[in-house]
Amino acid sequence: MTVAVTGGKGGTGKSTVAVNLAVALASTGYRVVLADLDVEGCVDHLLLRAELKVVKPIKVPIPFIDYGKCVACGACTSVCDTGALISVRGGKPFLIPRLCSGCGACFHACRFGAIRMGWRVIGEVSAGKARFGDITLTLVSGRLREGEEHVAPAVIAAREEAISLASEESADFLVIDTAAGTGIAVSQALSTADLVLAVTEPTPLGAHDLDAILELTSKLGMRTWVVVNKHGLAPENIVAGVVGRYGVPVVARVPYSDEVVHAYVGGEPLVLREGSVAGQELRALASAVASIASVRGA
Amino acid sequence: MIEVVIASGKGGVGKTLISAELALRLKELGVKVTAVDADADAPNLHLVLGGAEWRVEEDYYEGWVARIDNIKCVGCGACAEACLYKAIFKDKGTGKYRVNELLCEGCATCSLVCPVKAITRIKVSSGKIRAGTTRVGKVRIAGAKLIPGRPNSGKLVTEVKTLARKLWGNDTEIYIVDAAAGIGCQVIASLAGASAAILVAEPTPASLEDLMRVHRVVKHFGLPAALVVNKAGLSESMEAKIIEYAIKENIDFLGSIPYDDTVPKAVARLSPVTQAYPDSPAAAAVRDVVGKIIERVIKDWDSWRLKHIPANPQPYVPEIIPPSQ
Repeated sequence: MTVAVTGGKGGTGKSTVAVNLAVALASTGYRVVLADLDVEGCVDHLLLRAELKVVKPIKVPIPFIDYGKCVACGACTSVCDTGALISVRGGKPFLIPRLCSGCGACFHACRFGAIRMGWRVIGEVSAGKARFGDITLTLVSGRLREGEEHVAPAVIAAREEAISLASEESADFLVIDTAAGTGIAVSQALSTADLVLAVTEPTPLGAHDLDAILELTSKLGMRTWVVVNKHGLAPENIVAGVVGRYGVPVVARVPYSDEVVHAYVGGEPLVLREGSVAGQELRALASAVASIASVRGA
Repeated sequence: MIEVVIASGKGGVGKTLISAELALRLKELGVKVTAVDADADAPNLHLVLGGAEWRVEEDYYEGWVARIDNIKCVGCGACAEACLYKAIFKDKGTGKYRVNELLCEGCATCSLVCPVKAITRIKVSSGKIRAGTTRVGKVRIAGAKLIPGRPNSGKLVTEVKTLARKLWGNDTEIYIVDAAAGIGCQVIASLAGASAAILVAEPTPASLEDLMRVHRVVKHFGLPAALVVNKAGLSESMEAKIIEYAIKENIDFLGSIPYDDTVPKAVARLSPVTQAYPDSPAAAAVRDVVGKIIERVIKDWDSWRLKHIPANPQPYVPEIIPPSQ
């Protein structure tokens, strides 16, 4: 079963929930792979203190023009939406690499075999193990290079690597941590999940961005649960309004407390702390997730 | 004209807090300021200033999506094979192919590989761009709201900046650009053409990591930078590491705002913390930091800029592998 953790707004506690869910599931004997698909800000390895090794570069295609074969017909430049391939006054095209998204339309548009595809390395996928006593889980992490703009291909590459590792390890759960936002990088990270956990906070900003993420998951037709983090910070009615409109359940309320903040700064995961109220709530969330997995038989 | 970008890499560390308070204070001082919300996925800047009255609001048609003609499709799968974004799926019922529009980036590739010309592209709205004034402080603001599941577009951010310039360019001394989380196209478009970056970090390992990543992008543009530490007091050792990084990188450390629950409580009341809880430690620190941004960075711009330009600005050079022979 694949569970994706998202939320729209940054800093609502997506990574805290994803990491604790993964550790709680692993601590009850499940085989777990955690995929950090926040390629612009992947930090789950820091929260888990896991050593990662690069397993593969993330590459997107980039065109090379054979000027001997090019007849300057303009077919390639006319299909290039990003303006990466341009020609001056009907001359032969040239490439501005920075703008190329790697979609490959130019390659398919050229009827003279004048475009061959090379590669541009935009990031790396890494993997490793996180260990807490005898609890182990596998972490896969995608990372976009600073300066690269095209996020979706990096998310897809890390997602595919995580799916193949999860199947190799016969994992019971693949937990996916997504970036902030509600755009295509997030929908790519969510697209293979069976269940989405939308983490929010009881503030107008949290509610505003929760609305956008619930619009996305409802369009995607995905089963979605809401987790309210920083519970108690302010009345929850503003979140309740949004949740009611989409008819999705609030399944956990993680209290606003110093303990959560300090765990984020560098302690062990909340779910492994004796007597932690937040940890208790997150363990209950993991049980709820596990119970629907057993119903599904996945 | 100065254009200051507030960025942090990590989300939820306080970019919007600093942007809102800075714009508000500049307005109070009579400076001609325009705020730009450059986070089209989660546009929140106006909310911290009590919401906004939008004077201009227009659909933004930049994106495309592919449409497959179910009658023409022969189910060969060439489109799904060629799609870099894995946005095309086989419909198990009909054996034909379908586009998931929430994953489609709208490139022409599938339409070009389809042997029976069953795929066309249609123009779709990516969202709205808008401009108006905030309810609190009457600050001029331009922003965008992306439709969930559309490509996060750097072009959209550029378009918002263009709208702000068109409306108020002749009457603006300072643009305050509140960037999105991350380091991708929206952040790059925010930094392109800017004068300086104000970086915001919180004393956590995750925030330091993301700060270093976004600062690498800032250095690609050769921009001078300043740093504000928010939620200070969470970890003294992490705060020390962040300040150490700033010193090493010639980033001007402006000060710290203590971890104080009046900040999120003010957000919950749709009000800037300096107005909702003017006597709280956080509000005092916000006033101090905003004052320093104005005194050191903005009023003393020419000498500050020279003092804090990165030691070795290096444009980004992508790693490219040529096709094999």
